[in-house]
Amino acid sequence: MTESIILALVVVTALGFDFTNGFHDTANAMATSIATKALRPKTAAALSGILNLIGAFLSVEVALTVTNAVVKIQDKSGAPKAELLGNGGFDLLLIVLAGLVGGIVWNLLTWLLGLPSSSSHALFGGLIGASIAGLGWSGVNWNGDGSKLDGVVGKVLLPAVMSPVIACVVAAVGTWLVYRVVTGVAARFTDNGFRWGQIGSASLVSLAHGTNDAQKTMGVITLALIASGDWTDTSAVPFWVKAACALAIAAGTYLGGWRIIRTLGKGLVEIAPPQGMAAEASSAAVILASSHLGFALSTTHVATGSILGSGVGKPGAQVRWKVAGRMIAAWLITLPAAAIVGAVMWWLGHLIGGLAGALVVFVVLLALAGFMFLRSRRTPVDHNNVNDEWDADQAATRERVPEGV
Amino acid sequence: MHNVGLALDGAWKVLAAGLVLGAGLPLLFALGIRSLAWGAGGDAEVHDSGTAGPAANPAGTVLGWLLFVIVLALVVLGIVFIVASGFGKALSFEHIYPTLIDK
Repeated sequence: MTESIILALVVVTALGFDFTNGFHDTANAMATSIATKALRPKTAAALSGILNLIGAFLSVEVALTVTNAVVKIQDKSGAPKAELLGNGGFDLLLIVLAGLVGGIVWNLLTWLLGLPSSSSHALFGGLIGASIAGLGWSGVNWNGDGSKLDGVVGKVLLPAVMSPVIACVVAAVGTWLVYRVVTGVAARFTDNGFRWGQIGSASLVSLAHGTNDAQKTMGVITLALIASGDWTDTSAVPFWVKAACALAIAAGTYLGGWRIIRTLGKGLVEIAPPQGMAAEASSAAVILASSHLGFALSTTHVATGSILGSGVGKPGAQVRWKVAGRMIAAWLITLPAAAIVGAVMWWLGHLIGGLAGALVVFVVLLALAGFMFLRSRRTPVDHNNVNDEWDADQAATRERVPEGV
Repeated sequence: MHNVGLALDGAWKVLAAGLVLGAGLPLLFALGIRSLAWGAGGDAEVHDSGTAGPAANPAGTVLGWLLFVIVLALVVLGIVFIVASGFGKALSFEHIYPTLIDK
């Protein structure tokens, strides 16, 4: 009975993480289309949600070993480590639960601040923190075994440094070429044409997002089911898990993280349709190419790099480097911050112990989530004001008479 | 530090593929739009003030749509690629034209 309740808590928390992953990443695909008014905000979120749903069902590849990239709680086949399976898998379930809570809390905080940070980094950070707390430093797969790109360094840190740069270069080259080609063409041709190109390329990004991100949660839930003895097959994911994860990520995407959409669409660069198309095409190409080559990367880092690149590549465009700097700072602390939350949650659950410990962790999550939601209501950003001028309050400050006049 | 070498190895491949697809396709698309404007003639393109602008040219319209079809075909190929890899298949360009094979 106790194990079933803890398992249920893990499943609900995992779906909650999947949901935050969805609304955190609506911006990656749709921020540019919303900013250039190629799509109405609600339409864009709905389109992205549907494509995420389809994408999640298309990912039939077994993602059971997702945690192996960073921590050592599973063996190579995907089965949980035997030594963690005492008391009905409680040890493993607590690590997973604490890790998920770390990921969710960080996702909500960055959403509150309107910062696009990587959901996969948040999840990995939470799991790393919980594993360090529960198993010690050796519980983390820092560097892999040398045969392939693996471990925290190879699967998380290096791609995080390289992927935004790659995306930025590709988008800058694309934008520059596009502007070279269409110089002098009447706006009625360029605006309409590029809006369609933008919708197409953004749809591709949404689809790729559904296939990539939903399966991480599917893997985590299936791992928990195996640990508690409710599932044994390490070569398949139960259908209800797949369906639930697909729905959770799609619902989150449809809800839309408007605060983040605003930052990406209006904050970094003033985006015109040709830039939007170049940025999304670059994101889609980089995401697809790297998943084909087994180069693990975060959709968020790629999308941000692309949008930045579209500002660099357009002659005379202004890039708000201050906003970019804030984002990069958030990326740097995502992993350690989520890890700290994950570790604290594990200690909390471990000290109290048993069902009560897991329940307390869950209640703390609900309290933190509720608090951040209430905080967000003070300065709401939704589909009505997502496209407002970024510098409105700055402009008001400039109107004052300068000092000493 | 083997990871750094492996990552750099992966990174340049991603960059190359990204440049070909991520910058190449927008370039083709932009050329398509340019061609449509060329096909429409008149005010669609830059011309000396006071003149009516270049005459309409149907070849431009045809070329423009042809370019859009090529871009669309490549995007469809991209979607097939995502779906195929999800079902344990891969796209092969062994015979120049794409075929689906088992991974």
